[in-house]
Amino acid sequence: MSSTTTQSGLARARRGVAPGGSGGGNVNRKSKLSGQTRRTFFWLLLPSIVLLILINGYPLIYAGVQATHDGSLIDTGNFVGVDNFATVLSSPAFWKAAQFTLWFTIVGVFGSWLVGLGLALLLRTKIPAGGTFKVLLLLPWVVPIVVSSTAWNWLVATPDSLIPSIFRNLGLGTPLFLADPHLAAVMVMVFKVWVSFPFMMMMISAALASVDTTVYEAASMDGASKWQQFTQITLPMIARSTYISWILMTIFCVNDFPTIYLLTGGGPVDATTSLVVLAYRSVFQDFQTGPGVAIAFLMTLTLVVVSVLLYRQIRKSSVE
Amino acid sequence: MSAVLHAQPESGPALGVAGAEKTRRVLSEAVMQGRWWRFALILVITAIVLVPIMVTVILALTPGPNSTATGLTLENITGVFSKTLAGTWLSNSLITTLSTVIVAVAVAAPAGYVLSRGRSKAVSGYSLLLFVMQSLPIITSVVPLFILFAGMGLVDNLLGLIIIYVGSTMTVATWMMAAYFDSIPISLEEASWIDGCSVFGSFTKVVLRNSLPGILSTAIFAFLLAWNDYLVAIVFLRSNEIFTLPVGVQSFFQQNLTDWSGVMALAVVMMLPPIIVFATLNKYFSVGGIGGSLAGR
Repeated sequence: MSSTTTQSGLARARRGVAPGGSGGGNVNRKSKLSGQTRRTFFWLLLPSIVLLILINGYPLIYAGVQATHDGSLIDTGNFVGVDNFATVLSSPAFWKAAQFTLWFTIVGVFGSWLVGLGLALLLRTKIPAGGTFKVLLLLPWVVPIVVSSTAWNWLVATPDSLIPSIFRNLGLGTPLFLADPHLAAVMVMVFKVWVSFPFMMMMISAALASVDTTVYEAASMDGASKWQQFTQITLPMIARSTYISWILMTIFCVNDFPTIYLLTGGGPVDATTSLVVLAYRSVFQDFQTGPGVAIAFLMTLTLVVVSVLLYRQIRKSSVE
Repeated sequence: MSAVLHAQPESGPALGVAGAEKTRRVLSEAVMQGRWWRFALILVITAIVLVPIMVTVILALTPGPNSTATGLTLENITGVFSKTLAGTWLSNSLITTLSTVIVAVAVAAPAGYVLSRGRSKAVSGYSLLLFVMQSLPIITSVVPLFILFAGMGLVDNLLGLIIIYVGSTMTVATWMMAAYFDSIPISLEEASWIDGCSVFGSFTKVVLRNSLPGILSTAIFAFLLAWNDYLVAIVFLRSNEIFTLPVGVQSFFQQNLTDWSGVMALAVVMMLPPIIVFATLNKYFSVGGIGGSLAGR
């Protein structure tokens, strides 16, 4: 793949096929054209570069400054070196939030993957109105989190809500889904899986669509069972897309704020406080900019490592 | 499928014409049964999955506790527009989202073109940089940007929100556009170059003109991000009349915990635009798709 795509643009321009050129072997003309192409490319890229520096680059550097100072939102304060990081790393709240974030991410990634995979496989077979179901099943991902968290609140928040009432009428007691720390943690994860599985379903469906069905016919002729076909054909065929979607979903889960914050606000008793919620609270509720940004910085470091690994993997597999 | 295999008689052809006919009927029944069984399963799953959304719609369209109306009614929706700033929030959301979509595409399309066509060290370095930036937690940039924007009068200002949304959409959007441009053969452009067209000319006249699906899928992605964002909006928007819908819905929800009809009416208003966009443009999104574009490169 890469050998053909890298042959594009600039390389061709250098060979003299570029703008205004009629081919030709004039060396001066070629290098001039290449320079012209380069200039065009630079101007096309410029707005993107400016925005990247302003909205992504500058804040990252300034966050580094804040993380090493003891100031507030209004005043940067004094340089304190790694004090904020030391404070954060020695606080039980940080480790509790890190632990919750880890579980939230694991359940979020694999839960949504399993549900998405199951539905993608089911929808792949001929089903009446299959296309309609596919669109309907995307809705949890399309509907704004503010809306769905409100609906989930209505369903589970109080003892008189719909789902606790159903439990009561079935004689199963009245579970307090958002007031009990363990149940609230489970609830947030279930909500996250509900929000995310359509994304996985789309990714897997796209990967499945490119699998040649004659492979399955050949395999079943050879006597391969359904399960064998699944583990030996389907899974390897969607492996690359699966790998990418796991890492993307990891980034989505670690960075997720509204799913948790809107459903539980991080409570009860910090049971559902993730690192993002903790960072948000430190800065905007406790007005402790330094520690808050330090938390965000630690997350950033982890995610940069994850995304560079992902980038390498994508590069590697597109070369193969 | 396995049902089909089991239904196949061992000695099929030996049974003669009647046997073959019977076999065919059994087979088609088995297939139909398989289909209906799957249909029932997906129906049940979809129904369960959609409960929260159905609940929202039902509560929004049925009369509230203090209402005299019967049957389905729009009075909750009209009520929420007259009682709250819903109209202002809706127009704020529309302005912010549409501006984000237009600017994000205008920035990402040319950048994506360079990523797709120019493969120098600098370009692939920039590609990696964009990729790393898209994974950064927005919470890291929010605090520094808050301070920067406060000095520029961009806090509590929709323009500030638009700039941040464009910045955070642009990274993935550029990748999506680049992935789409990869699928447009360079030979199309070469023909225009021979006719005396410049690189910029072939980009606008040849490539962009053939990129509607790619542009639409990028636009949908930007639309969803800007329409649904909550974190940036609650940090940057302070006054009621500047709220976008997510902040408006949430503030109304917290103030009126008992007025579920009103809250759900506003929620329905908020979920309609993305549903409409998806219902009409779904096929374009499945072509591009965030994941798809990352997987494709």
